[in-house]
Amino acid sequence: MAQPEVHHLFHHPIADHSFSADRQLLAVARESNVDLFKRNGSKFQLADELKGHDKTVTGVDIAPKSGKIVTCSQDRNAYVWEPSPDGWKPTLVLLRINRAATFVRWAPSETKFAVGSGARLIPVCYFEEEDNWWVSKHLKKPIRSTITTVAWHPNSVLLAAGSTDGHARVFSSFIKGVDERPEPSAWGERLPFNTVCGEFLNNTAGWVHSVAFSPSGNALAFAAHDSSLTVVYPSAPEQPPRAVISITTQLLPFMSLVWSSEDEIIAAGYDCQAYRLQGSEQGWQLAGSLETKGRPGVAHREESALNMFRQMDLKGKTTDDTKLDTVHQNTISTIRVYEEAGGQVRKISSSGVDGRVVVWSL
Amino acid sequence: MANVNWRTINIDALDPDSPANFDLTSLAPSVAPVSTADVQSLASQIRQLLRGGDNEGALQGALENPPYGADDKGKDIHLATVIEILQSIRQSDMSPILSRIYSAPGGTEALDVLMKYIYKGMAQTSATGTARNVTPQPTGFSQIHARGGGEGGGQAMSVLLSWHEKLVEIAGPGSIVRVMTDRRTV
Repeated sequence: MAQPEVHHLFHHPIADHSFSADRQLLAVARESNVDLFKRNGSKFQLADELKGHDKTVTGVDIAPKSGKIVTCSQDRNAYVWEPSPDGWKPTLVLLRINRAATFVRWAPSETKFAVGSGARLIPVCYFEEEDNWWVSKHLKKPIRSTITTVAWHPNSVLLAAGSTDGHARVFSSFIKGVDERPEPSAWGERLPFNTVCGEFLNNTAGWVHSVAFSPSGNALAFAAHDSSLTVVYPSAPEQPPRAVISITTQLLPFMSLVWSSEDEIIAAGYDCQAYRLQGSEQGWQLAGSLETKGRPGVAHREESALNMFRQMDLKGKTTDDTKLDTVHQNTISTIRVYEEAGGQVRKISSSGVDGRVVVWSL
Repeated sequence: MANVNWRTINIDALDPDSPANFDLTSLAPSVAPVSTADVQSLASQIRQLLRGGDNEGALQGALENPPYGADDKGKDIHLATVIEILQSIRQSDMSPILSRIYSAPGGTEALDVLMKYIYKGMAQTSATGTARNVTPQPTGFSQIHARGGGEGGGQAMSVLLSWHEKLVEIAGPGSIVRVMTDRRTV
């Protein structure tokens, strides 16, 4: 397994990060700005700053095809940034929410995006040509609490959302004139806006940190604060799911997860390292960490006696235990797909509270 | 209208979207109600196992049937049963018993329940300790009395702490997080 590529950008938490499709541009949410880094050889260099929000930015996403960047913040606003000859041009999006925006993702079609919010609703935003304006439609029922995360189905109509009320839900966000009528699937056949296609709760009703559809869209995984990961396989519309598999781990909770293929999930969170989980409808299990053990530089070197006594004298201990033996030195808050080929994810990127962005080969 | 103090109007009650008007039961997993008598009969069954020397069976039985749906009294009875079992098991037997429960089907669930009882037990012993401290002692020996109570609590606490240590070794910090997260309380 290749060594992970570590970019220590700054000493601030990274709430969210996103790479452009050619992976030359990296957008990172840093306090109330979004920093844009450009690849320069093997390093990323600060190229631009998107200033506009006046509170902590909570989400950033670069659309892979159009290159537009959407950001959302605790100031209850979202902006769509478009490249123009004189820099990035922001357009304010009317979210119409009275609490912080928590999370934002473009739909695969890139014609709309969904924003999670503390106002117990999900604004689904799309561009109205006539008014030259981004408008939003609210997914409301039956959300009971803050939406912490959203994820799109490959058909750009179904939207999964995780909430602090412990539920992971699947909604239809079909907007007439914007979306193509979707193919019927196990989630539903006729899908008017705000159809609830599924509502799932795990045993302990812990709040949900992350949701994701499998690459085919026929399974949904969510990670909750009870250190569990639940995978749901729907059977048919309006029917109970074929299988709901919940695994409780010995680890601290996962904050983020991605499917690397139909039978593998990568999840990471408070344990500061990413884990591989494998399984199918029959069952899932934890298959180990992505960290390669005994990496050079972190492995224990043979200490000289002089050095040992000097350390004991100076610090009262012989080894420096202020560093974790993981690549990330703090909670990982986001993991994303970095490179994929033929439906198989080859590389993922992770970012966390320690200000690092790391690219991992699977 | 003039004499209505509009500052004291509960606007949440008037707003249909307000969280004050939610039916909160839909948020928590549903638990079947358990009567106190059922808890009591289970407790006597478990005591029977305990008297027969089957500590492990007693612990397993107690952890497999946590009375989530019982009232406070029923929960207290079950807590007392679990604590009694925990105190009857020798320190050297703790780890082997825990690993056997862990590897059995549904074992992680059972260990999560045990963790809940350990924390509840810790809360209980310290609460009774302080309750004893505040009892007024007209004889002036209140201090000595309080110390005695504290020592009794300390012994129960040390049993729970060693169980806690052994349990974390096997079930990991995930089990602690689940106790904090779970809405089904014991």
